[in-house]
This record gives sequence, structure tokens and C-alpha cells, in this order.
Amino acid sequence: MTAFYLRWGVVLVIAMIIVGMTVRDYEQHLASVSPAQILDDPPHGDVRVQGLVKAGTLQGNLEEGFATFALGGDQATLSVEYKGLPPENLRELKLLIVVGQWDPASQVFRARELALLTHYGFVVSAYLVGLLPLLLVLFFMGRKVSLLFEEIKQSKLYQSE
Amino acid sequence: MNKTMINRVIRKIQRYKGWFGGAAALCMMAGLYVGLLASPPDYYQGEVARIMYVHVPLAHTSLLAYTVLFGGSIWYLWKRDPLVDNMCHAAAGLTALFTLLALLTGMIWGKPTWNAWWTWDARLTSFIVLLLITIGYLMLRTFIDDPEREARYAAVLAIVGFVDLPIVHFSVEWWRTLHQPQSISMRGVSISSGLLIPLMLMSVGMSLLFSYMLMVRTQMLYLVNLLDAKKGRLLSQFHLSKAES
Amino acid sequence: MGRKKIGILVSVLIVGGALGYLALGNFGENLVYFFTPTEVKAFSSDYYQKKVRVGGMVVKDSVHALTEKTGLTFELTDGESTIPVAFEGIPPDLFKEGQGAVVEGYWTHGHQFQSHMIMAKHSEDYMPMELKRAGVELPKKDFMKSLQQ
Repeated sequence: MTAFYLRWGVVLVIAMIIVGMTVRDYEQHLASVSPAQILDDPPHGDVRVQGLVKAGTLQGNLEEGFATFALGGDQATLSVEYKGLPPENLRELKLLIVVGQWDPASQVFRARELALLTHYGFVVSAYLVGLLPLLLVLFFMGRKVSLLFEEIKQSKLYQSE
Repeated sequence: MNKTMINRVIRKIQRYKGWFGGAAALCMMAGLYVGLLASPPDYYQGEVARIMYVHVPLAHTSLLAYTVLFGGSIWYLWKRDPLVDNMCHAAAGLTALFTLLALLTGMIWGKPTWNAWWTWDARLTSFIVLLLITIGYLMLRTFIDDPEREARYAAVLAIVGFVDLPIVHFSVEWWRTLHQPQSISMRGVSISSGLLIPLMLMSVGMSLLFSYMLMVRTQMLYLVNLLDAKKGRLLSQFHLSKAES
Repeated sequence: MGRKKIGILVSVLIVGGALGYLALGNFGENLVYFFTPTEVKAFSSDYYQKKVRVGGMVVKDSVHALTEKTGLTFELTDGESTIPVAFEGIPPDLFKEGQGAVVEGYWTHGHQFQSHMIMAKHSEDYMPMELKRAGVELPKKDFMKSLQQ
């Protein structure tokens, strides 16, 4: 039985390492803030802001990779100026993430990249829902089989044939 | 102690199953790493497309598991080997598990992409029918006392239920559905290599995991049956000796 | 013994019922998951104001966000016919011009489709943004054909 638990321990440790790396990767590269947080506490350097492209505010020339729009959150709205590659996913009434820097002097967010929502909660729950039950079922089945083999070994069922 | 009372195949499985479990763990660990960390997001769905690497392998393994159940049922009716029946019973339990998980992960993928947790299109409906068939199969087995009759009836039911499999597979080609068509089909492969590698790793890993789980579950059902049978005989011998003394 | 027999019957009924539902209820020709714009245009007046689903491709440059209320108007096509859609609410993330959508709502006497619910019907190709920008096209099913099944 010790070998059995040992093998499962190794699997668990490796799984934890991958989960840890994923969480760290998300926090470093993908986590985003709301427009209100930008206004309350103006950040330095690159940030990712998530909001809704407000209806009737999108202007510019998308084919040339230039656009201005208002990005709304629950409490506050940012004016965004985008310059970069022609955006694939920009339209009004769309939730998205703008990547760039906040310019406090002109009160404009200068975005150089637009990204889709990460939906990380959905991704993580799909992996947990999809894999955890498999591991649990496998663990209890494996344990049962080991116990059954032990029971057969120890019992005198086969000696007095 | 006379271990040779245990079926030769079950002892073989005990010896070699670890290789399958180990290979499954390796493939899936690599798949998880590449899928979650070392592959690009999709151009249209973004990060959420990563759910594909767990949902699609679960779904195809469900079909694989039922195919094993179907093949095993024919084999059983032909040879009447109780061990084959144990394997069918194990495959059915695993089909139910994998089908349920494929449905759940599909729902979690559907909400952020389609904007619906569930919809009654041909793919989703035929897939939930697969779950119902397997549940019906497992229920049937609990209601029949005679093991031989149980195995026979169950095998017939499994063979009848197999008609759902081509329907699941071709539903997206035959009918109007919300679900997208097959990404890997006669048309070619519609997934670029960066996203195909984690999908393949997880798919191969999931198939290996299924074969490993099938071995363990078959062993489990066989050993439980064996112990029951032997205990039954021992009990009667015990009664016999009591009666004699 | 009686309870066992009932159990067997119920199990068989579950399997038979599920398969029967597939064969008769859902996939008979009398019931389709969504209509195409061509079929909607040919609707007899019985279908007006009746809740239906319509599937098609969102026409390029046809999406306009409303400013007076949250919503938008766009056109949906199956390659043959095009219908105007008025939608109230926030459309899903993957709703996009040139991509598939299934809208739920009703066809009005004014020959406009009114909807409160859009579902995005995405295609089966997957690739990183860099490849898409480079103009890579992976083999996939003709979207308009998938509407005609």
C-alpha cells in the first residue's frame, strides 16, 4: 500500500506545480483591472484594463490600426486611444481588455494592444470539473483493488482447496 | 496461499497496468503544461479555447469507452466469458463518467463562447442520450439476480444502444447545430500545430488513462465477484461441517 | 420479484425512450434547430410573432450599436437571403461580423427579426492570432453549407 500512496503523492505534487505555475502566469500576464481602479490609483507602466466599448463612441480607421473609444466599467469610463495592428476584435458593445499605459496629463489611455476577455474562471473550472473526478474515481478504485488483493492473499480462501 | 486461483488475465493486468497509468500521467502532465502555459491563445476565442484540451479528449474518450462496451458485449455473447462481462460492466461505468464530464466541461465552454450553458441541438441531445443509455444499462444490471442472465441482457442492451454513436459523431455534419463541425475530418485538420500539439497530448493521455482505468475497474469487479463466490462456498462448507459434527 | 421486474422495465424504457426520442422527436424533418433567413422570409403569417431561432452569418459592415438604448441592429444572411435583426441587450463576446450567429426571437409583420438572445456559432478552426493576421486559412466546412443541412 505504501507504494500506492507514494505514486499518488508524486502525481499530486506535479499537478500542484503545474497549477501554481498557471496561477502565477495568469497574475503576471493576464490579470486585468477596471477603469475605476485606473482613475483612483493611476499606475505606471503597462496595465491591462477590462471594460465595455461604449455604444456610439468608436471612431477612427480600423484598417490602419487607429481607433478611439470610451471604455466603460461599473463606476467609471476611460477614453482610450488605440494605435497598433488592425484590431480583429474591436466593436461597440463588446467587453474586452486594452493593454497599454495611462497618460495622466491628457487623461487618455494609450493602448497598443486589444485582447479578448480571458474567462480564466471558466478555464480553471473546466479543468477542475473535467479532471478531478477522474482522479478521485481512479484513486478509490485503485485502493479498492489493492485492498482486494491483500484480502485474497491473507484470507485462507485458497488454502484448503 | 494459492494465487493461481485468480484468473491469468487479471494477474497479467496487475503486472502491466502500471505502464499504462504511467504513460497516461506523462502525456497528460505534458498536455496540461503545454495547454495551459506553453501554447498561444486562439485568434477568435482567446484564452477560453484552452477548454478544448480537456473537453474534446473527454468527449472522444466517451465514444471510445462505449465502443469498447459494444465490442465487449458482442464478444461476451459469442464466448460467454464472465471476465469479458466484467470488462463490459467496467467500460459502461467509465462511459457514464466520461460522458458526464464531457457534458459538464462542454457547458462550461458553451457559456463564454456561445452565450448558452445548454441548448437542445442535435450534438448535445444525442450526447445526453449516450449518458441516458449508459445509465439505463447500469440500472438494468442492478435489477437482475442471476449473473449469467444479467450479463446477457446487458450485452443486448449495449449493442442496441450503439446506434447512438454514429449519430453523435455525424450530428454536426447531418443537421443544423449550434455546435461547430468536426475539426479533424475528411476536410483536413482545422487546428494549427501550436494548438494541435496540446490537444493530441491530452487526447492520447486521456485514451491511455481510460485504458488504465478500464483495467483497474475490470480487476475490481472481477475480484469482488471472486471473493463473493468463494466466500459463498466457504460459508456453505462451514455450514456443512457444523451439520456433520 | 415484482420490484425487480419493474426495475428492469424502467431501465429498458430509459434506453428505448432516449433512442426513440432521437429517432422521432428531435430529428424528424418536422423540427429543426434553427431556420435560415430564406425560410424566415418565406414564413406564412402563422409564424409571425412566434418564438423561433434563426441561424446565419452576420453581414460585414451591417452591425450598428444603438445609442438611445443598449442594443444593436445587424443583418443575417445564408448567402441567398438577408434579414434585418434588431437586438436588445449586450451581444456575446464572440458575436462578430463575418461569423455565425443563432438569434432567438420572432419575425414581425414589419419584416424585421426582433431578438433578446444571440448565441455565437463559432467555426471549427483554431489558430493563434499571428497566423490569422498572416492570412492563413485552415480547411473548414463552408459555413453557408452547414446552414442548409
